Amino acid sequence: MGIMRIGHVSIKVMDMAAALKHYENVLGMKKMMEDKHGNVYLKCWDEWDKYSLILTPSDQAGLNHVAYKVEKDSDLDDLQKKVEAYGIATTILEEGNLPSTGRLLQFNLPSGHEMRLYAMKEYVGTEVGTNNPDPWPDNLKGAGAHWLDHCLLMCEMNPEAGVNKVAENTQFVIEVLDFFLTEQILVGPAGDMQAATWLARTTTPHDLAFVAGPRMGLHHIAFFLDSWHDILKSADVMAKTKTKIDVAPTRHGITRGETIYFFGPGGNRNETFAGLGYLAQRDRPVTTWDESHMGSGIFYHTGELVASFSEVYT
Amino acid sequence: MFFDTRPKVAVHVAQTGETFPCAHDESLLQGMLRLGRKGIPVGCVNGGCGVCKVHSMEGQVKSLGPVSRAHVSAEEEAAGFTLACRVAPVTAVRLEVTGKFEKPFRQGFASTAGA
Repeated sequence: MGIMRIGHVSIKVMDMAAALKHYENVLGMKKMMEDKHGNVYLKCWDEWDKYSLILTPSDQAGLNHVAYKVEKDSDLDDLQKKVEAYGIATTILEEGNLPSTGRLLQFNLPSGHEMRLYAMKEYVGTEVGTNNPDPWPDNLKGAGAHWLDHCLLMCEMNPEAGVNKVAENTQFVIEVLDFFLTEQILVGPAGDMQAATWLARTTTPHDLAFVAGPRMGLHHIAFFLDSWHDILKSADVMAKTKTKIDVAPTRHGITRGETIYFFGPGGNRNETFAGLGYLAQRDRPVTTWDESHMGSGIFYHTGELVASFSEVYT
Repeated sequence: MFFDTRPKVAVHVAQTGETFPCAHDESLLQGMLRLGRKGIPVGCVNGGCGVCKVHSMEGQVKSLGPVSRAHVSAEEEAAGFTLACRVAPVTAVRLEVTGKFEKPFRQGFASTAGA
């Protein structure tokens, strides 16, 4: 079946101790291991593979790479051929390049972001196990996020110069990686320029999103919560931990998600969100937001963009 | 009126002429945010995004944590550039804002639509 879901993100942090504390105490993740280079690997309680987040020490913030898990090892060979045939160079990173992880197919999206695909990661199980499990484990910290759900990548767009990496990325992941489009923002005089797209491989409204900006970067990584009340509790956790909230609890028009955005130490943006929105399907008609309704698509209640949310990323 | 009796020093933003009081144990940006004041652009408030980049013209500040080298080089830092979210005032400070918001979707497309 090819890509199943987002597998992990690797991000740069400037203060490892502070970052670890944030992902443990605010998100509720657990540290699984640390490698000899000082990279730290974490997972959420409801995830069964070894890790979903890699923190790497750096002098700046931002994304190293995003990885998606494919169903079968042979999918990597099939997808390598398709990516190469599309005109994008690939590299196979042999097993052991990342700990507890099989070989990785590595390439850059047209926007320049590094993507990796893999079929194998060490199984460690969820915190509640598989035999007569309880619905949630004891001793959850902070928001108690279930899993890493998606990421939003900022892609260069400069209409005057004819550059639109949102559209290029979207075409690539649909044609080659077999994602399907759920929602889009169309802008421009003719309303025909894709300025943002939401794409799925699972049955949720997005496993990956692209938004236009003046340069490539990471807008946010998002973690799943059960309910609106969990979003409120998540905000309480942020107040208790003096975590900088970017956007207080609200709802997106796009995806219908209930959400709160905040910044980790070092400035990478996180989201915890709830609400599945709708059942994403390949034959579901694509939802389109036009330029004059962009604000409502992003923040449904106010319909107003927030400067930091629109214009700040790492 | 909410009383806050901590000792404070004045932070003056050259471009806007704004002056706000800032305690010694909070960043220049937190001091501004706490009072609901404006003048310095607000981003991640964690040293990573660079929009609150300032140049200190007068006064002394102390570091509260690392600033992203993608936005403030070591040379710039030595010349008085820093991020307002990562420094606390030691004395009264006079600064100029040098960071700016980039314009991803709204303005960029509006200008396109008008072109």
